[in-house]
Amino acid sequence: MKKFLFLSTLLFGVLFFSACKDEEETKDPGTLEVNFDNIAVINNVQQQLSLVTPGSTDYAYTNALGQKFNINLLRYYISAIELDGPNGEHYHDHMEATASGSKGYYLVDESIPASQLILLEDIPAGEYNKITFTVGVDSSGVVNGASGGSLDPATCHMFWNWNSGYIAVKYEGQSDVSNGGVSGAETVTGDNPHGMAYHIGGWKDIPGGVFVYNNKRLSLTFDTVVKVESKEAPELHMVFDVIKMFGSHHNIDFTGNHNVHKPADGVEVAHNLEHAFAYDHIHQ
Amino acid sequence: MGKRIFGDPMLSRDNSVACNNCHVKAVAFADPQHALSLGVDERQGIRNAPGIANMAFMKEFMWDGGVYHLDFAPPNAIENPLEMDEKMAKVVWKLNRNSTYPAQFRAAFPEMGDTITSPFVLLALSQYQTMLVSATSKYDYYKLGKGELSANEMEGLQLFKQKCAVCHSGELFTNQEYRNNGLDTAFADEGRARITESAADLCKLKVPSLRNVELTDPYMHDARFNTLEEVLDHYAAGVKQSATLATELHQGDFIGIPLTASEKKLIVDFLKTLTDYEFIQDERF
Repeated sequence: MKKFLFLSTLLFGVLFFSACKDEEETKDPGTLEVNFDNIAVINNVQQQLSLVTPGSTDYAYTNALGQKFNINLLRYYISAIELDGPNGEHYHDHMEATASGSKGYYLVDESIPASQLILLEDIPAGEYNKITFTVGVDSSGVVNGASGGSLDPATCHMFWNWNSGYIAVKYEGQSDVSNGGVSGAETVTGDNPHGMAYHIGGWKDIPGGVFVYNNKRLSLTFDTVVKVESKEAPELHMVFDVIKMFGSHHNIDFTGNHNVHKPADGVEVAHNLEHAFAYDHIHQ
Repeated sequence: MGKRIFGDPMLSRDNSVACNNCHVKAVAFADPQHALSLGVDERQGIRNAPGIANMAFMKEFMWDGGVYHLDFAPPNAIENPLEMDEKMAKVVWKLNRNSTYPAQFRAAFPEMGDTITSPFVLLALSQYQTMLVSATSKYDYYKLGKGELSANEMEGLQLFKQKCAVCHSGELFTNQEYRNNGLDTAFADEGRARITESAADLCKLKVPSLRNVELTDPYMHDARFNTLEEVLDHYAAGVKQSATLATELHQGDFIGIPLTASEKKLIVDFLKTLTDYEFIQDERF
């Protein structure tokens, strides 16, 4: 009997402690809310963007060349998001592109606040200090044919028919130095005397090919770690600076080609995207 | 349902032009009436409407190959101001308001949900177009051992293999690549270069399939030749030199393809064996 009690106690103890140990090690997966805040940094101060009515000559922003401009429309795709942590944590967002819908392709539109908030779910619990994402839609969203949801070619207003594929970043607006003459734009017509359209696309990432690839895969590191688990509701704030889009690697001259509708014409703006997107802060 | 949409003028801005206005079954889904097809308000397009057959086996679409998947071919015609001049979103809206389409879509695509969306419209059109397989011509029956070619047609086939099949290769009679076939010295149509943005591709256009070629006149992207004889005359004596001319048309000192009058006639005899009467009379299409 004593022996039985002893064994029972031992068995109970082993079960009890192993249960505790499990509980400590496996926290439940959590979420991360990723915000894309579109801003303009003016005199080192971040300002939230404000959109204007098409044709407006009210210019709130100035590019690196001192040319004034405003914004009617700003829209871009963020896709294939991954998170990494200092201890080997890794998460990649689920991707899907079918007629019924698409997952993992987010269309961020300055005029639609809800579109600027991306909720990542089912992230393995842990600490993360790096986000990686594609600006644009790569071949995964194109080669299998027409898809729904954010990729729906009838509703996304980001699809090029003639060179089938998705525009990565679409800007439309006015500059006082632009002489207009824009074609094929959503908010700017040819008779808008100061209109500008920069439609940045080109998704054919074909090795050895001649195609211009303007999607950008960016990795941005945080100045701290974000803790993810079921009991937390952290927020990650990313920013997209329109001033840097038009002036970082290259200073975009609005007196030059301001009617950009093909990959080769968008290379410099696409290159600037590397600086336009930045990590800003985390709310734990 | 794809067939119904293909024949529905609702796809155009003023409900006047359907896909099959310019892709007519009787001529293997090419345009028999207009060298450059007419869209809404009688607006004239910039290139000849090609036939639609064996799309399931093609890698890229349009004369310049700018369309990477068959699903994305129809919006080019629907949204082009010179063709149907309508927005895809408006087409979807019209279909949803129609008395019979919504139920037909829901039956065809149970995964769709209640409302018709554009990817399902495009899927229906693709499914119809991939059905359009032309493989019952006299030539096909000869290849299957179920029919014979005449002596002239056989001779034409041999000549074709020697002189044409380097580009018009395989059973689709196209290598699915892009070539400048020497129509001009100055380029009115930048062709494949519009897509690749490379000067090396200026004026190169898709090597077309030659199936049903007897029916799909006029020929070339700009419809400049009315007969197969004129096409062969061009290759024999009309090819013009330019920086991007196909190397296949520039062997040694000769530019073009050496062809005698009798050889041209025999090749035309052979090309006519690619006409597929069962295809253009198929009740399903």
